[in-house]
Amino acid sequence: MKKLPARELGVGLVLFVLVLAVQLANPAFLRPENVRDLLIQCAPFAIMACGMTFVIILGEIDISVGSMAGLLAAALGTWASPSHGGRPLLDCVFGVLFLGLALGLVNGLLVVFARVPSIVATLGMLTVLRGVTELVLHGEWVTDLPPFIRQLGIGVSGGVPNPVLVALLVVAVSITLASLTPWGRRVYAIGSNPEAAKVRGLPVKQVKLAAFALMGLLTGVAVLVSAPQLSVVESGYGTGWELFVVTCVVVGGVSITGGRGSLWGVLLGVALLSIIRTALIFLRLGDQASYWERAIQGVLILTAVLGDRVSARRRAEVGA
Amino acid sequence: MKALVPALLAAALLVVGCGPTSDGTKTASGTGAPTAGKKFKVYLLPKQKGVPYFTSCAEGAEDAAKELGDIELTYDGPTDGKPEAAAEMIEKWVLKGADVIAVSCNDPQVLGPVLKKARDQGVKVITWDADASQDSRELFVNQATPQQIGYGLVDAMAKDLGGAEPTGQVAIVTARLTAANQNEWMVHMKERLKKYPKMQLVDVKPSNEDQKLAFEVSRDLMKAYPDLKGIFGISSVAFPGAAEAVKQAGKSGKVLVTGLATPNDMRSYVKDGTVKSVLLWNTKDLGFLTIEVAEAVAKGALKPNAPYFMSHRGEKKMQGDNVLLGDPIVFTKDNIDQFNF
Repeated sequence: MKKLPARELGVGLVLFVLVLAVQLANPAFLRPENVRDLLIQCAPFAIMACGMTFVIILGEIDISVGSMAGLLAAALGTWASPSHGGRPLLDCVFGVLFLGLALGLVNGLLVVFARVPSIVATLGMLTVLRGVTELVLHGEWVTDLPPFIRQLGIGVSGGVPNPVLVALLVVAVSITLASLTPWGRRVYAIGSNPEAAKVRGLPVKQVKLAAFALMGLLTGVAVLVSAPQLSVVESGYGTGWELFVVTCVVVGGVSITGGRGSLWGVLLGVALLSIIRTALIFLRLGDQASYWERAIQGVLILTAVLGDRVSARRRAEVGA
Repeated sequence: MKALVPALLAAALLVVGCGPTSDGTKTASGTGAPTAGKKFKVYLLPKQKGVPYFTSCAEGAEDAAKELGDIELTYDGPTDGKPEAAAEMIEKWVLKGADVIAVSCNDPQVLGPVLKKARDQGVKVITWDADASQDSRELFVNQATPQQIGYGLVDAMAKDLGGAEPTGQVAIVTARLTAANQNEWMVHMKERLKKYPKMQLVDVKPSNEDQKLAFEVSRDLMKAYPDLKGIFGISSVAFPGAAEAVKQAGKSGKVLVTGLATPNDMRSYVKDGTVKSVLLWNTKDLGFLTIEVAEAVAKGALKPNAPYFMSHRGEKKMQGDNVLLGDPIVFTKDNIDQFNF
């Protein structure tokens, strides 16, 4: 019998209490239109967190994704905007996906073949890609995303907003990948013991390369459903996302040293972290509350994570 | 080694001296020979060249140069907005024999020493649009004091809400909680809100210079406060983000948005009624006044602490070593098409 790990329980509990408290304070919180907006808000981060989960379970990290999202959004904007590229939908969509995949591959090659530690390699890419984005946009905004692109972000298919639909799809595929395929099992095996994995002859390099490429591809997917929610693309797009996504993954119970963690936990992490900001607005704490926001966020994260630490120690004490 | 330095300086002078016309800068009134009187060489530096805001300032400056007649105006600046590039330009202009250099200062740390050096060599330095440290310039042409902006924003919202006693909940979407400019404006906004006791400030949210975040917090604010009547978007990123949120929520005209931005950025929202008022100073007037002040400084006719400065466009107040442009103007759907920047 597989028990739900303590971390997922902790995060789930904090999420539940937060939602309940806010709902009691402001009944508008769980109105369908707000739930819908919250899901849309979560969608791009859920998509990216799936990719990040594999990378972190492998014992690596990708902190270039914020700038990567910025560059991909700039590319999408300049390709699609009638005053710039004016290209058709499929060009834009596949262009962004290919570019994301390629940038992810570059990260992977730097880590796997050039043997640069992933935190250093992707930190470099974080700076480089933001620079390229500024170069592409020249400090100006793309302000005329055409309607067919906007549909990706604000459209609805079968009653479900497009970003949510895409996120569900990505999550389903990722969970299948993680639990039902040999590749998924290899990711966990390599992450928990890289030496043993090598001895057993597992294709460590290929698996890692694929994980970084997947991260890039999913960043492209996230940008495609997120950037078109507004008509404007600016060069600061995606700033800070890398930290947000990594936080979601780690809060969701994935061990930062690799080997452990589940996508279910990560999804709870994404939900908790995405909801906090909106929740604080709905609590109507007044015009000074913003100054407390980060502190409150921090306390909630620590509370969610602490339960896990306590139970880990108990496990160690009984020698489990 | 020592002999090298003068040689290099001479070479630099030669290089600079060779190419005054090849750098693509605009000269408003030609190189008129100083027969009728001395022409003052005035150099106008924007933070960044090629940006609509500054281009429109430059148009006003060129008008002033034509009207005054004794100004040889050069408008130039770095196209990438890099302060280091601006510093190089200033050094070049000093060598060219500038009378006045007027600077919109992108970085007081980088430009301060260069400006001081220019002053040591007898060049008059003034700042406009963005100030440098006090000891690196003579006067600052100040387009709007924080008080004018703070009061102007609240007054515009009050007028848009209408009635003898403007009533309703309002919220502010700012840049970052640490943004010095915005924080100063908010102090004055809160002060002014006391004049309208039925306008209630319910929340202040940062948008971290991220339009999507500005959009999302504005949307959340409208849902959390169903009676919300107005949103102030007080950065050029927060303002359109807030307006877009109101528009997408279908609340155009029901939740009013106002803030600071160029008319071009907000034109579509003004046209569809989401935004009734956009605040900004008249950029052409700012360029015009800067050149007038430059002329007065060159003639030695204007010193700090003068009671006022007599402009062709009327009397301008002085505040210490600041020449004030006057109250910001409010763009509405009736006048916004007269402005293209």
